[in-house]
Amino acid sequence: MTNEAAYWIALAHLPRWGYKKINELIIKFFHENQVSIVDFFGLTESDWRNIYQLGEAQVTDLQNAKSELGSNAFLAESLLNQGYEIIPITSPDYSKTLKENLKTTQAPTVLYVKGNKKILEEKSVAIVGSRAASEIALKFTDNIAKNASKDYKVVVSGFAKGVDKQALDSAINYKGQSIIVLPQGIMTFTSGFKKYYKQIIDGDVLVLSTFHPKATWEVGLAMARNPIIYGLADEIYVAESSNKGGTWSGVIDGLKKGRKIFVREPEPSETSANRLLIQKGAVPVDSEGNVLLNMTDSVPLEFNSVVQESRLEGEGLDGKIRSVLEFRALTAKEILGKLNLDWTTSEINKYIEKLNFVETRKLGGKKLFSLKEAKSSVQTRLFD
Amino acid sequence: MRRQEAEQILLRTFGIPKFYDKQWQTIEKILNGEKVLLIEKTGFGKSLCFQFPAFVFNGTTVVFSPLIALMRDQVKKLSSLGISAKCINSEQTPEENSQIIEEAKQGKIKILYIAPERQENNEWIEATQEIKLSMIVVDEAHCISVWGHDFRPAFKRIINLVKLLPKGLPVLATTATATKRVEVDIAQQIGGSISIIRGNLMRDNFKLFVVKVNSEDEKLIWLGRYLEDMPGSGILYTGTRVDTEIYTKWFEHLGISSTGYNAGLDSDSRIAIENGLMNNRWKCVISTNALGMGIDKPDIRFIIHTQIPQSPIHYYQEIGRAGRDGETAYIILFYNPDDRRLSEVFIDGSRPVIQKYEKVIDAVKLELLNERELMKKTNLKQNQIRVIKADLIEQGIIREVTFGGSKKYEFVPDSQPLNTKAFEELRTSKLEDLENMVGYIETTKSRMKFLCDYLGDNTHYSFTNCDNTNENKIIVNITPEWREKLKNFRANYFPILETAPISKKNLKELHKELVIQDKNGNGFELVVNEEVVASNLSEYELETSDIPEKEDFLKLLKSHLTKERLIDGVAASYYGFSNVGSAIHRSKYENGGDFPDFLLSLTLKAFRKKFGQEKFDWVVYVPSTKSGDLVKNFATTIANILDFPISHNLQKTRETKQQKVLQNGVLKRENVSDAFTYVNPEEIRGKSILLIDDIYDSGATIKEIGKILTNFGANKIAPIVIARTVGGDIV
Repeated sequence: MTNEAAYWIALAHLPRWGYKKINELIIKFFHENQVSIVDFFGLTESDWRNIYQLGEAQVTDLQNAKSELGSNAFLAESLLNQGYEIIPITSPDYSKTLKENLKTTQAPTVLYVKGNKKILEEKSVAIVGSRAASEIALKFTDNIAKNASKDYKVVVSGFAKGVDKQALDSAINYKGQSIIVLPQGIMTFTSGFKKYYKQIIDGDVLVLSTFHPKATWEVGLAMARNPIIYGLADEIYVAESSNKGGTWSGVIDGLKKGRKIFVREPEPSETSANRLLIQKGAVPVDSEGNVLLNMTDSVPLEFNSVVQESRLEGEGLDGKIRSVLEFRALTAKEILGKLNLDWTTSEINKYIEKLNFVETRKLGGKKLFSLKEAKSSVQTRLFD
Repeated sequence: MRRQEAEQILLRTFGIPKFYDKQWQTIEKILNGEKVLLIEKTGFGKSLCFQFPAFVFNGTTVVFSPLIALMRDQVKKLSSLGISAKCINSEQTPEENSQIIEEAKQGKIKILYIAPERQENNEWIEATQEIKLSMIVVDEAHCISVWGHDFRPAFKRIINLVKLLPKGLPVLATTATATKRVEVDIAQQIGGSISIIRGNLMRDNFKLFVVKVNSEDEKLIWLGRYLEDMPGSGILYTGTRVDTEIYTKWFEHLGISSTGYNAGLDSDSRIAIENGLMNNRWKCVISTNALGMGIDKPDIRFIIHTQIPQSPIHYYQEIGRAGRDGETAYIILFYNPDDRRLSEVFIDGSRPVIQKYEKVIDAVKLELLNERELMKKTNLKQNQIRVIKADLIEQGIIREVTFGGSKKYEFVPDSQPLNTKAFEELRTSKLEDLENMVGYIETTKSRMKFLCDYLGDNTHYSFTNCDNTNENKIIVNITPEWREKLKNFRANYFPILETAPISKKNLKELHKELVIQDKNGNGFELVVNEEVVASNLSEYELETSDIPEKEDFLKLLKSHLTKERLIDGVAASYYGFSNVGSAIHRSKYENGGDFPDFLLSLTLKAFRKKFGQEKFDWVVYVPSTKSGDLVKNFATTIANILDFPISHNLQKTRETKQQKVLQNGVLKRENVSDAFTYVNPEEIRGKSILLIDDIYDSGATIKEIGKILTNFGANKIAPIVIARTVGGDIV
């Protein structure tokens, strides 16, 4: 498998394809036609067109990817030499839980990992929540991680401040196993590898990323990482969520996909949006993670809102941006207000400027964002 | 492309009308996107087999080569043909290298030469993402194999790279020296469908001689007498750097034009010597085996070895540099039966004991460590740590990772336990190689045939080109006159102590470590070793340490370099060079009383040689760990004779261990760190000091005292010792 590494890197990061198209292509050549990735890249352009029904643009993309295989070999050598591994979706090492949960449409084509990859086969628990979580939420996180570790379940977290970090620290503390899902390329996580050296060596921690190995942290990647955390977990626990941001949209997305999500029953005085999530269909649990059955019964589900919200959320952040811009051009600040995001203006500015369906123009000293005309049907999202 | 068409391009571009058949056979496969291993003797024209396709291809050909001299040489040649070739190497500044990388990204370079170690460099890896690659060449491919004569761990990564390359990207591996076993090993490691093209390796323009002697003196004397009679110019290979120095001084003493060369010289000096060699500036260049690989001089007329090489393949490789023009070249090997024992000791000592491996494994299991930290944790010598590291990486037990530019070693979970059988096998194989080398010396048949057979080149050619077949034997006889000359030389030869602060030049000779502290007391560790030096201090270490501000660090380093007042010193002798070592030992450890007078007069002579009539304000001596007042009395006598005042004010502030007990420089330095003080510092402010000790080993003590006296305001500190040790001396 190793000698295919350069090929997998090329395929996994085809620009603008999205996992769905890539995965469907893999299904075709690997499963249906029983052709290895090396041989697939060795095919002629007309084979790509005729056998795989690829369009001109896609053939060009593949041709470009092919010309970069040599360069990828250098990257792959450097990657493997440092002990990172590449697990393609066709590999038996690929997480079955992830594939099951995310299906062809959202399952990343490759996983970059370092550490004990056997962890991917264990039962798993994700604990999610806000960066600025309350003491109660952190205590809850600690309890869930403790119970998970006791039951030999792996704790999945996203290496953000607050709940994520607590989940990891607790799992380590209780001698459990963890998966750190990175919001960045795996080769850029050096401080983490120094810090968790012992745990990685001992086989208790697996670091995982789905992005290009050299990609540095950015908001978009942090958002794109959330479905991976949910996808890697058999059970999802929410310690604390506000009514916007990554945790919120992740849970809503999960509920939409029909996943069972456990949310800590909030204190009466609490301002968190935990209650709201429970109203939307999440299962309330007590501080030890025990399900509180009666609570779900007493609160009627607001179906309308779930449907409406989830349509919006389901399309991810890019979709949301697209929908708010559908009516008129907006400033970054206005977009923030509409989307209820807790980002800074410069963060959202930076993010939007990278979206290729948005165009920017200046008007009286203000930067206005609007949709590019008529091209709104072009595939732009990371997940679809 | 047809051969005819190719040869038209060849003539137009390279000015060569035709390919040899073997060249075309190789090139045809390369043009076809195949992998080829080409084994051909030096001078065959292996380079053309990749230079031609590289010229024809779109994109950039990357040539991995361990030899900077060869890179320079080929780049020069290609440039003169109008083919854009560049090399990235440690002798160029980082800025120059970055500039070349930039050009490669823009597709302006056809052939790019780099060292395999470059694969560890982040900037390079990032650059490869934008380079359009047309072919990979692995030059000196025998370095891939542990069974070869020059295994280099950095090539391991090149193999891994080759395995990851896409189908259809051509790969050419070349070597001039591979036994059958090495050939098979290379082919297996590269894997896939690799074609092997092997030429014959015999060189019938060589005249091969073996000279049996019974002592070092006989070698020195024969060469002193007859070197000038050899035709043209050539190379004298010695076993060690110290021998290089001794032979250089000996020839200097006799007025024979020669110069010394070793890997420790700075790049400017090396280039100057290589150029001088090309222009026949000296009768001979005296060198360790660092010189010559890849130097394309057609008319090296003789190659002489004063020490038996480790194997016939080493020997073949080294003599292969002679007589490329096809004219007669004299190949002489001196052999003293004692030399064999030295080689055996070397083979036995080349691998540390197993417990030391385990020490390293245990340390790495607990923590992520860099080389220096490993040395501290394990009290192992740097060179031992290096051997162990390389073996453990080879066996997949640890791996080298680069975090933020800094190299560290991590344990590989679930790795196999240490395989000591592999070491045994390698040791046996090395002893066999040595046995075969002795076989070359002892054989009564054709020596060339012996070498060809060994290399797996089964020739039936009947050679008449050695002292067993057609030539006269060389016999050494020693006249009293020459004995006297040698004695006279020894009495006037004083080794230099490189104690002056680290400048780019002597940094390379020092091989020592340096720790620099910033004003907040944060230590920046600069392990100055061959690797660092080879890759040019500024580039390697500054990139690979966790140094936040490169500029600040450079400033700090500079101020450190200019501040110290210690200058280079002198020793009266090498420890084991004559009877000096045993005399010191008698006084120190066998209650032999004060150092004998002949040591005194030798030391005074060394003083005059190095410092002439210079006056010093004080004589200061190193207070002793074990040997009572020996050094004090010795220094007092010297001070009396030279008529300088003696000071007893340099004192120890704490007990130190004997330096010789400690295994590596890090610990030696720690042992003496802040262990001295000067009682009445006023008296040395602005003064010059002659600093006396008996033995100079790592130099850590002298340097520590140099630092302290500098801090107290001394203006100049000149060290002088009785004997300087050479690696391996038992003091």
